[in-house]
Amino acid sequence: MPTFTAFIKSLFIIAIIGLIGGGLFIYSGLYPMGADVPHNKLSYWMLETLRERSIARAASTTQVPDDLNTSDRLLSGGADYNDMCAGCHLEPEVKENDFTIGLYPSPPNLTAAPQDHGHSSGSDEHGKDAEIQRQFWIIKHGIKASGMPAWGPTHSDERIWNMVSFLQRLPSLTKEQYQILTARGQDDQ
Amino acid sequence: MKNKTLIPAFVLTALSMTFSAQAHDPKEHMKNAESPDCAAMKDMDHKRMNKNDPVMQAMMKKCMKHMDHGNDMKGMNHNSSVDDSKEQSDKQHSGHQH
Repeated sequence: MPTFTAFIKSLFIIAIIGLIGGGLFIYSGLYPMGADVPHNKLSYWMLETLRERSIARAASTTQVPDDLNTSDRLLSGGADYNDMCAGCHLEPEVKENDFTIGLYPSPPNLTAAPQDHGHSSGSDEHGKDAEIQRQFWIIKHGIKASGMPAWGPTHSDERIWNMVSFLQRLPSLTKEQYQILTARGQDDQ
Repeated sequence: MKNKTLIPAFVLTALSMTFSAQAHDPKEHMKNAESPDCAAMKDMDHKRMNKNDPVMQAMMKKCMKHMDHGNDMKGMNHNSSVDDSKEQSDKQHSGHQH
């Protein structure tokens, strides 16, 4: 009958072996890092859970402005979205491009409704707020090792909220509406 | 000697900081700016357009800047100012004749 001390010792040895084994695996270079080879299911689940839990916690204290749905915000945010985001997150009637095919993880198609690209936080008021907070946080801070840059260092919070405002309406825009809202035009200078 | 070596480094650092700040100004994107295709608004179903909708109001604001009212927007009777407030939208609504 093993004693409690022996049990703890065994756990300790297993942990040490695990750490050494993990270290050897990392240094072996055997894990495929190419973006054209998907993660295995365990790695994917771990990374996605880590990302989503981290963002949800960090974004939860973000104060959402009351005047998010205004025409001025749509015009400012639309032009910025077209210049900085559409290359990866697409525009109406465009289903994919070289970036969405080549990047891993593939950037979400933001012209689709959140539930269609797996980033819905629920349809009630609380879920909607969580989704808005999440979008603001991601635009401002970016996501490590995903290709998503942090726009916070170079863009004001107000400008980022304008982009969030545009994102709320983007899934319902037609190609023609998108073109009008996002075109900067020479007169806008 | 040391100063001579440091001067180009300071100049390069100052220049790179200046250019990186300019790169994020919206005006920097104007080089490739395209004009809004406001003529497309004529083909939209005006009966289904809600004039209180910020998307509709934003399109009107954008196109009023870029179009000749008496020409390209013929057939669309719009007030000269577009506001997001309900009160203003109601006033506009009474002015529209779709």
